[in-house]
Amino acid sequence: MIILKNLTCHYEERVILEDISLKIQKHLTLLGANGAGKSTLAKAICGLIPYDGKIVVDDADIQELSLKERAKLLAYIPAKLEIYDAYITLFEFVLLGRFPFKKSFFDYSERDKEIAAESLEYLNISHLTNASLHSLSSGESQLALIAQALTQKSRIIIFDEPTANLDPKNSKIIAQHIKHLQKEQEILLITHDIHLAKFIDAPIGFIKKQKLHYYDRDFFEPENLSKLYEVEFDAQGLKYV
Amino acid sequence: MCRVALWTFFTLLFVLSPFVGAVNLDIANILNTSSLDANIFYNLRLPRLLFAFFAGGILALSGLLFQTLFRNALMTPYTLGISSGAVFGVGVAIKLGLTTLLFGIGAITLFGFLGAFFTVVLLIYLSQFLRSNQQESLLLLGIALSLFYSAALMVLFYLGNSIQNDMLIRFTMGSLSIIGWQSPLLIGVVAILLLGAVYAYRFELQLLGISSDAASLKGVDTKKVTLLLLGVASLSIGALVGISGPIGFVGLIIPHIITKFYPTTVERRLLKTALFGGLFLVACDMLSRVMQTQSELPIGIVTAFIGAPFFIYLIISQKKY
Repeated sequence: MIILKNLTCHYEERVILEDISLKIQKHLTLLGANGAGKSTLAKAICGLIPYDGKIVVDDADIQELSLKERAKLLAYIPAKLEIYDAYITLFEFVLLGRFPFKKSFFDYSERDKEIAAESLEYLNISHLTNASLHSLSSGESQLALIAQALTQKSRIIIFDEPTANLDPKNSKIIAQHIKHLQKEQEILLITHDIHLAKFIDAPIGFIKKQKLHYYDRDFFEPENLSKLYEVEFDAQGLKYV
Repeated sequence: MCRVALWTFFTLLFVLSPFVGAVNLDIANILNTSSLDANIFYNLRLPRLLFAFFAGGILALSGLLFQTLFRNALMTPYTLGISSGAVFGVGVAIKLGLTTLLFGIGAITLFGFLGAFFTVVLLIYLSQFLRSNQQESLLLLGIALSLFYSAALMVLFYLGNSIQNDMLIRFTMGSLSIIGWQSPLLIGVVAILLLGAVYAYRFELQLLGISSDAASLKGVDTKKVTLLLLGVASLSIGALVGISGPIGFVGLIIPHIITKFYPTTVERRLLKTALFGGLFLVACDMLSRVMQTQSELPIGIVTAFIGAPFFIYLIISQKKY
């Protein structure tokens, strides 16, 4: 459960999010135009950027938690894997999800390695165990990030545009995994992908003009989408002509 | 195969190194401790060998550390102006005629150390004003500092007398000619401390090598770990440069060479980089003593002459080892 109280975020002088209060019981799918502040919201919850207001996760103010305790609660999956140490293998990368549980200065335990291997198995990417990260495709990279989040065993997973760089086939694979994860984990899904949002069973939040608006399945009515996104939608989806 | 050849070749040079120099040593005489050969071997060649080895290790490991922490292949203590700071500190000590010992350490070494330390503090202070994506700006700050120190060094040259200037010129070329065991012991301790600190934080470093955000999200106090490792590396460099003068290129090229031979995660390259840096500098030092002109060639010139072409070859060949 994530509770935001009067959350305000600035980027330099610009106000990105203003006075947002919300309560995510379990799942939430968050939509909004480019620059509406979806990623900012996610990054604030993860503690990556400063904010005014209060963020409470499972009864704990996240600013009072240590970084490792926070990592045990929340995992964040970015849209794109950016990595400098490109020769790290998939297994080593996924194993990093155990960092919050590891004793300082010591190596990862055998149990940690088992958990990492199980995550790879679960996502059907065990055959890539020793592949270096820079050799993975966008779809495989997204799976690598999910595997790392699963290894982290945090109950809340935040997906930041997971299908933004993927072709339809890989989008489908990721969508199915997210749906499956909903049974065990609490998922905050941020996306532009209306197909994906429709497929995932969760309340909808839409950020517009720094404010958050809630919707149910009626969100996907063409009239509503047309109004929110300010472009024409019909029963088939977005109209390009 | 290539890896074995690399290590064998440089280890062989390491073993040969103390027997090469202005005076040819007779191995039989070395065992006789009262002979001149033994004196040269134990009090000149051996300490120098170890000094070069530890110095190379510190330079290479600091280079890898800076590159990983800033996620930029050009970041080294050298390119960030930290070495220049140390050189300027030494310049001041020479100009002021400080040749006495302070706390058992030469004033020159201490001033070099302080120059490096001051530069790091300045860089850390200035970096607070940079935006979050600060790598390029920080590199530019380092270059600006280097240029500023060069200008300040020119002022020292202008004001100095010819003896001081000669000392200073020699110093800026870098040198491994040390006498006795004090310097190798000091630098050996520094090298081991640096390696220990890096090893203790190897997994934090691995996460920082992915991205700063990735490390934060897994619970790494990125600011603390970065400052701590940068601090230890910079102080090691300060102590080293105070004794040897600036030795360029090692910190830049050795991490890249090791990455070419061992394309693995940074955590698996730490020890190899330190070790190869040491062996490489020993080999360069040996070459500087073989290519005797009037006196031996300054080590900084040798590392640049070997390092630059080898580096260019590695970049354009793009061969997988």
